[in-house]
Amino acid sequence: MPPDPVISYRSVSVVRGGHAIIDDVSLAIARGDFAALTGASGAGKTTLLRLAIAMVAADAGQVLVAGRDVATTDPAVLRRSIGYASQGVGLFPHWTVAENIAAVPRLLQREPAWIAARVAVMLDLVELPRAFADRLPAQLSGGQASRVGLARALAAEPKLLLLDEPFGALDPETRASLGDRLVALHRDQRLTTLMVTHDLADALLRADRVVVLDKGRIVADAPPTVLVTHPHPAVQALVASPLDQARRIAALVVP
Amino acid sequence: MTAQWQRALAMLPDRLAAHLGVSAAALALAILVAVPLVLAMAARPRWRAPVLAVAGVIQTVPALALLALFYPLLLLVSQATQRLAGFGVPALGLLPSLLALSLYALLPLLRGGADGLASVPAATLDAADGIGMTRRQRLLQVELPLAAPIVMGGVRIAAVWTIGAATLATTVGQKSLGDMIFAGLQIEDWALVVTGCLAAAALAIIVDTALWQAETGLAQRRRGKALFGLGIIAALAAGVIGWDWQTRAPASAARPVVVGAKNFGEQYILAELIADQLRRQGIAVTVRSGLGSAVAFRALAAGDIDVYVDYTGTLWANALGRKDAASRETMLADLRRDLPRRHHVELAAALGFENAYALAMRRTEAQRLGIVSLADLAARAGHLRLATDTEFQQRGEWAALQRGYGLKFARLTAYTPTLMVRALTGGDADVITAFSSDGRIAADDLLLLTDPRAALPAYDAVLLVGPRRPDLAAKLAGLAGRIPVSAMREANWQVDRDADKQTPAQAAAWLAAKTGLGGR
Repeated sequence: MPPDPVISYRSVSVVRGGHAIIDDVSLAIARGDFAALTGASGAGKTTLLRLAIAMVAADAGQVLVAGRDVATTDPAVLRRSIGYASQGVGLFPHWTVAENIAAVPRLLQREPAWIAARVAVMLDLVELPRAFADRLPAQLSGGQASRVGLARALAAEPKLLLLDEPFGALDPETRASLGDRLVALHRDQRLTTLMVTHDLADALLRADRVVVLDKGRIVADAPPTVLVTHPHPAVQALVASPLDQARRIAALVVP
Repeated sequence: MTAQWQRALAMLPDRLAAHLGVSAAALALAILVAVPLVLAMAARPRWRAPVLAVAGVIQTVPALALLALFYPLLLLVSQATQRLAGFGVPALGLLPSLLALSLYALLPLLRGGADGLASVPAATLDAADGIGMTRRQRLLQVELPLAAPIVMGGVRIAAVWTIGAATLATTVGQKSLGDMIFAGLQIEDWALVVTGCLAAAALAIIVDTALWQAETGLAQRRRGKALFGLGIIAALAAGVIGWDWQTRAPASAARPVVVGAKNFGEQYILAELIADQLRRQGIAVTVRSGLGSAVAFRALAAGDIDVYVDYTGTLWANALGRKDAASRETMLADLRRDLPRRHHVELAAALGFENAYALAMRRTEAQRLGIVSLADLAARAGHLRLATDTEFQQRGEWAALQRGYGLKFARLTAYTPTLMVRALTGGDADVITAFSSDGRIAADDLLLLTDPRAALPAYDAVLLVGPRRPDLAAKLAGLAGRIPVSAMREANWQVDRDADKQTPAQAAAWLAAKTGLGGR
């Protein structure tokens, strides 16, 4: 018997305009999982993620986080216990980097000294110079802002990390280095991570479990090594393009 | 000239303090109303369009009309509270100004608030919710600081508009810089007009700059800048409070008699004359001048002012609602009988002159054509050009003239009063409308045509006394029949003319001396 799952979706449906955008989904994310949610756009990835922090309410079924039903938990308390990096980062533009990172610990009314020390640690963890603490978000590059977003999500020492397109519009090099950092953090901080990404390559390279959604249903849920050969047409459609790219790039290499 | 400027500057501090006080109070009231509405619009976007639409409609009502509308409204409220609770709310002065000005300030405040909150990026709001901020924390820590520049833009526009519109509060009896502008325009005292306008403009610019400095200073965390802006605002507030405290009458003193005046020169002079007569009897007096024509009578009936001069023709139509023609004597008799019954207002005395609508010609021209009366004019009118003021052609007097004499002119043109007189003296018109007590009649050597068929109603100047101080009727009885039209014309001319212009108080003193009412 495995330990209780950190997130547990039980026959969950979300209906918008008479149409099920999440259609009877059941899924359990176990402690220590690094799961990627992927699929074509409109497949329901972000909705499934947001159900776990009660930013979307289920029309049918139940969502449990750490064994508690999110529908009956105070949403503010629930969200403060979870690390969440939203799509487009969403740093508070009027707060410095340090203030952004300190946001959740301050909501939890941690000691100012603890917070100050924690901000310094977080800057180190996301590999940003400590001098960045006093910068405003407008003075950061896209990659730096994403790192601050990650630091903000992790500042209050959550056990669960939810990421919505964390590599958004980053250039490939920044993507790779932030991706590596993320995997290291997941491992070192003993996190459970659920990451939404539209890019199958990111899912395959970072996660140890890939969940593919198609029209609000789960069509595949497998480790990367197995997923690549999964027979479902929706999975094959997702796999085809990066595999083809990889083959063509490999062919360019002169033997 | 220098004396004129000195007089204007002497009026300034009191009006400036009152102006700033009423503007600040109106803005504060508007902000109190706007804040819950903005929050409601943010919570329920469906409310946004209707709320802004209503504020927009209010904005299209000219401020002057909005102020005038509040006076009768407050009178009704006052009568209701009088009946229910035994005290009336003041319908003149501060309250109507405050309400109208704050309604006027609502639109920029609401729009700035709504646009400001709508300008916060969706990703930022999502992050705020996602990290576990409550609605209140999100509003105070994220939305308001980010919306502040646009919200404060709305506050600054509202402040500038309110300071501008507060000049109009004079028409409902609230002291403001408008006192100087309205009085100056009426008696063509440009020192007063320019001083009042410049002071209002300077005040608007200073307040706008101070708010901007305070806002950007706070947003950019630049303490010096923020303190500079807040310091100016604090200094202005201290100035208003200090001036008010220094000039406030002791609370124990009885309210002085309030002499009212409508917004033209003759009224200013007569108010000063009445005030002087009362002061000679040891009675404390203040003058509230520049009242709108419709406001003055209502203010008297409601006890907001205690005495003023009106004209029988106006009272006949407006206060008694009579449409029939009547002789001078009948009008006076009916007004004496009906005003106390219907409005608790007493017609204390007829002053002895008329300020009636009449037609006038250049004396030389009239003599050449052999015209003395309106009947003579009717025979020649087909070759003559009539210039009127802007409202005459819409008035009952014009219909009455056409009915009574069958007047048909070769051409009919409407002018502002000053240009109308120029059209006549410059030869662009042969006949003009005129007021019988106008100072220019003697000065420009004009002939007022007689009205043998009594087509035009009489406009005898009469002293009206309100219900709060009925004793004033006896105290001012000495004025009855004492002011001939020639003396009134001369006094009016003294304040109207450009050379050796007199103040209304100086003209009133001259008039008192001339008519044996006790000169200096």
